[in-house]
Amino acid sequence: MKNPILKNSLFYGIWFCFIPGLLLLCSALTVFSNEQDVAARVKKATQKLDTTQQVDAIIPLPKNIVRAHMEYQGGTFFTEARKSEITRFKCSSCHNNKKVSILNAADISHADIKINHGGKDTPLACNTCHSQDDRDFLVTSKTSKIDLDHAYDMCGQCHFRQKKDWIGGAHGKRVTYWAGERVVKNCTSCHNPHSPKFEKRWPKTYSVPLK
Amino acid sequence: MDSDKKKTIDRRTFLKGATSAAIVGGAAVTAGCKGKNLMNSSETFALEFQEYFKKHYRLMTQAERDKTVLRLENMARLKQDLTVDIDTTGPAPDVLYGYAFNVTRCEGYMECVKACIKENNLDRKSDTQYIRIFEMEHGQMSPDQGDGKYFHMVPRDGHFYMGVQCFQCDNPPCVKACPTKATWREPDGIVVVDYDWCIGCRYCMAACPYWGRRFNWNTPEIPTEEITTKQHYLGNRQRVRGMMEKCTFCIQRSRKGKMTACVEACPTGARVFGNLLDPDSEIRFVLENKKVYRLKEDLGTEPKFWYFID
Repeated sequence: MKNPILKNSLFYGIWFCFIPGLLLLCSALTVFSNEQDVAARVKKATQKLDTTQQVDAIIPLPKNIVRAHMEYQGGTFFTEARKSEITRFKCSSCHNNKKVSILNAADISHADIKINHGGKDTPLACNTCHSQDDRDFLVTSKTSKIDLDHAYDMCGQCHFRQKKDWIGGAHGKRVTYWAGERVVKNCTSCHNPHSPKFEKRWPKTYSVPLK
Repeated sequence: MDSDKKKTIDRRTFLKGATSAAIVGGAAVTAGCKGKNLMNSSETFALEFQEYFKKHYRLMTQAERDKTVLRLENMARLKQDLTVDIDTTGPAPDVLYGYAFNVTRCEGYMECVKACIKENNLDRKSDTQYIRIFEMEHGQMSPDQGDGKYFHMVPRDGHFYMGVQCFQCDNPPCVKACPTKATWREPDGIVVVDYDWCIGCRYCMAACPYWGRRFNWNTPEIPTEEITTKQHYLGNRQRVRGMMEKCTFCIQRSRKGKMTACVEACPTGARVFGNLLDPDSEIRFVLENKKVYRLKEDLGTEPKFWYFID
């Protein structure tokens, strides 16, 4: 004899077990799934890697680089040299006690350099950065000499936040390779030290409208 | 009576003439198009024929990949007189590519867009671009509020610039949408397309919430002298009409340890690229020390492309 009440309760009983079970299974799958979000994976990756062996390719070191004075989170690094880029270096080849005729002086003077650095209130003069005694060097306010290749030491005196970012990698950029020895652009690779702000110009190309 | 006879043509003569004209005409048409190529360059035809029967890239063994690449290189040489070098370098262990974009530093010069077009052999006819730069007013957050088609002196006062490209999601909706498994996420995090398995249904284009994918409506046209010959099978090799393509973080460069073309071209250093699994990398420094955000994070797509503010 069939009991409709028993049948009903059995039916509902199965459903009441089945649905929470399914929900439990779903949540368990989400929690214990192998899929991790990027943030978690990044956080877990604290093991130091050998950056020189990361890719199967030969990564050449560029010419004209110098080892920076400080270390970033991964050790020492290189930056682009500056002196080799200055056409009339050494400065002391002109700035010495030799006499220069007035006719020559017009050609080789620095009249082409426009200083736009420091704003209207505190404009910089030549000697704010350049040493007056030893023309081949820069000089800090504490009168210690700075090699032109290590211009970041000079800029970093005022722009200390940018220098901190530059050492870490949030300001400036690496040269050509993301793997291998770290070689970064120097301050003067991108900024004109006499007029460091990027100028207004036309964009290189344009985008066609989407719609 | 005689003159009438000359003018009229009987059925048999007419049919004879018509048939022979059809044969001659048909032959001429065939010879003018495909047939001529078939007869003259059986080598190209043989290569094209073999191309039809190749496997999905992920199912190929390395030997089969080498053979396919050699075939493609030969085809480029025969068809365009071009020496290309197609690469099949796989993902390196312990590498997950990540990208950061400094919205404070970008000045909207669009050097990256130009470099990308050149590096990735993008179609010049339809002006395909992987990167879009939006000019935004201060306070705006999402690029769909910005102006993506500006052309004036930059940077404009009171504005900032935001670059958008494929974000190489870790949980990519485009991959799920693909009916032929022609697109997938590589172990180093790059989402790639097997151009020969794409059927051009554009489901992935609809699935992408970032407008990161591009469709080839026409056969891509690139001046031969401007073609980048260092190519990757999953990257900037030549594409055909009717398939999807997308930014691959310049797979042909990044897998060789190089920066992507956009990073290398950026004059302001607004773009940061590197290995997310290397605790010393620049990208990790940005993530740990800067205010970062991602676009449409609530969708759970896990983009590996962060925006940051100085």
